[in-house]
Amino acid sequence: MEQAALKVQSLAKSFNGRRVLDDVDFEVKRGELVAFLGANGSGKSTTLKCVAGLTEPDAGRIELDGAQLSQLGGRQLQLARSKAAMVFQKIHLVPRRTALDNVCAGALARVSSLASVSPLFFSRELREEAMGCLERVGMADRALDRVGRLSGGQQQRVAVARALCQRASVLLADEPVSALDPNAAEHVMELLAELAHNENLAVAAVLHQPDLALRHADRAIGLMHGRITFDGPVASLNQSVLDTLYSPERNAA
Amino acid sequence: MSLQTPPRPMDTALESASVRTPAPAKLPVPADPHRGRKAMLWGTATAVIVMLHLLAVAGTDFDPTLLVDGWQGMARFISDAFPPNLDWEEVIKPGLEATLVTLWIGLLGTTLSIPSALLLAVLASRTTSPHPVAYQVSRAILSFFRAVPDIVFALIFVTAVGLGPFAGVLALICHNTGVMGKLWAESMEETDQGPQEALSTAGASRLQQIAHGSLPLVIPQFVGLLLYRFDVNVRSSLVLGLVGAGGIGLLINQAIKSFQFDTMLTHIIIVLILIIVVDQASGFVRRKLAV
Ligand SMILES: Nc1ncnc2c1ncn2[C@@H]1O[C@H](COP(=O)(O)OP(=O)(O)OP(=O)(O)O)[C@@H](O)[C@H]1O
Ligand SMILES: [Mg+2]
Repeated sequence: MEQAALKVQSLAKSFNGRRVLDDVDFEVKRGELVAFLGANGSGKSTTLKCVAGLTEPDAGRIELDGAQLSQLGGRQLQLARSKAAMVFQKIHLVPRRTALDNVCAGALARVSSLASVSPLFFSRELREEAMGCLERVGMADRALDRVGRLSGGQQQRVAVARALCQRASVLLADEPVSALDPNAAEHVMELLAELAHNENLAVAAVLHQPDLALRHADRAIGLMHGRITFDGPVASLNQSVLDTLYSPERNAA
Repeated sequence: MSLQTPPRPMDTALESASVRTPAPAKLPVPADPHRGRKAMLWGTATAVIVMLHLLAVAGTDFDPTLLVDGWQGMARFISDAFPPNLDWEEVIKPGLEATLVTLWIGLLGTTLSIPSALLLAVLASRTTSPHPVAYQVSRAILSFFRAVPDIVFALIFVTAVGLGPFAGVLALICHNTGVMGKLWAESMEETDQGPQEALSTAGASRLQQIAHGSLPLVIPQFVGLLLYRFDVNVRSSLVLGLVGAGGIGLLINQAIKSFQFDTMLTHIIIVLILIIVVDQASGFVRRKLAV
């Protein structure tokens, strides 16, 4: 467990000349759930997007499962990146398709292009693996329901199943429970913690409720104006730390 | 409060409302510093629009008095057309057969343009296009096919494959590719890019992202637009018949040329029924899809 599944060093990013990320360093190890905390605009989403490849960082090194992303290109980079799966606040599943088809889509990186024209051509093997992922998040009984018919919490669990079907070792979650009711949020957070602790995944989740972090996370990373100002076990996350983390919001407003 | 005369609910509601909510305080409206400029803009716009219409009236020889003077010609034309010629063997049967041809032209012209329209739509939508050059080129191709009217395509194809419905089908395929490709590209640009983005983080290729992230989201809109185009294309194929592309349009043209206005009227009634049926059918399917 010594080697971190995700290692980020001196990550920097500017938008239109404005520094959004400044010298960001952190690690997420297998088996731990790390909560990212910080005020609006502090750079949490940008950090995760840089890792997932949705935003190109200006500088810095990202190591995923031992592979240096900056040294790779093309197909190799794509495969290395697929080691990190992302879960979104807005879920981003295809509502008209079944939960099963959506979960299968997580495996597209390793499906031959001919067989990936339509869900009709997904192999039986892949479908069975996807069923296993749905079972893991407790949604196997709704596998053939259209995603649009499921509740927000159920949809988010299907999205987690899609990430599992990707066979990722790192799970990035950007505000995974911000759109869910407290009960559903609790369920999804429990699921993410279980995946970290039992399936040995490295989970990084942006959270807006510190109490969720206190209850479910092992470690917290606090961002302020694009810099990491706190990195430690949640037990040391006291009120004064939280006050400084969220004070710039009041000052800026 | 006496038991015999309970207050009517309306009265109490009104009373308590007037008691509880005083009128909001009034404040003077600040002067609009741009008022003069706004008035200028409106004035100029109105003047320009009026000018354009005057030019259009002059350019089209627009003259209602001609219509009044020539009403007899029209009256003769219409009285010749009544009653419609309902001879089964001579008029109705060939009319129905030709109408079927018109319908087939519209159908093939629509469905056979799906592959080309889909390809160009994917290339010409900012959200799915692989490259800015592909985007610009496919936009240009779509604009070309849209700008050339189907009737011009029909005249061109008639010289290649001869008079007949086949030329009409080819013409519709070309024009419809342009129109439907544009409509599809636009609806693709308007849809949520989230699922596509999610699949890109899962390592899916560009093509896979489109097949599993973008297209499934727009299928309902695509089918709706397809049905709408089918409706339009059936009507276009009528007009194409007038230039020799077969179908009921051809029969209408022949009837007019040989002054058989009663036959023409029968054909027009048949066409009217066809149009209503197609319109209702495609409307029905579109409503079913929307649910
Ligand atoms: N594509 C972009 N173009 C320009 N500026 C951007 C872009 N994406 C993010 N930013 C800016 O970068 C800063 C950090 O944004 P980011 O989304 O990472 O914040 P966040 O911590 O996730 O905030 P929130 O809690 O509101 O989600 C913000 O000031 C934002 O305006
Ligand atoms: Mg964010």
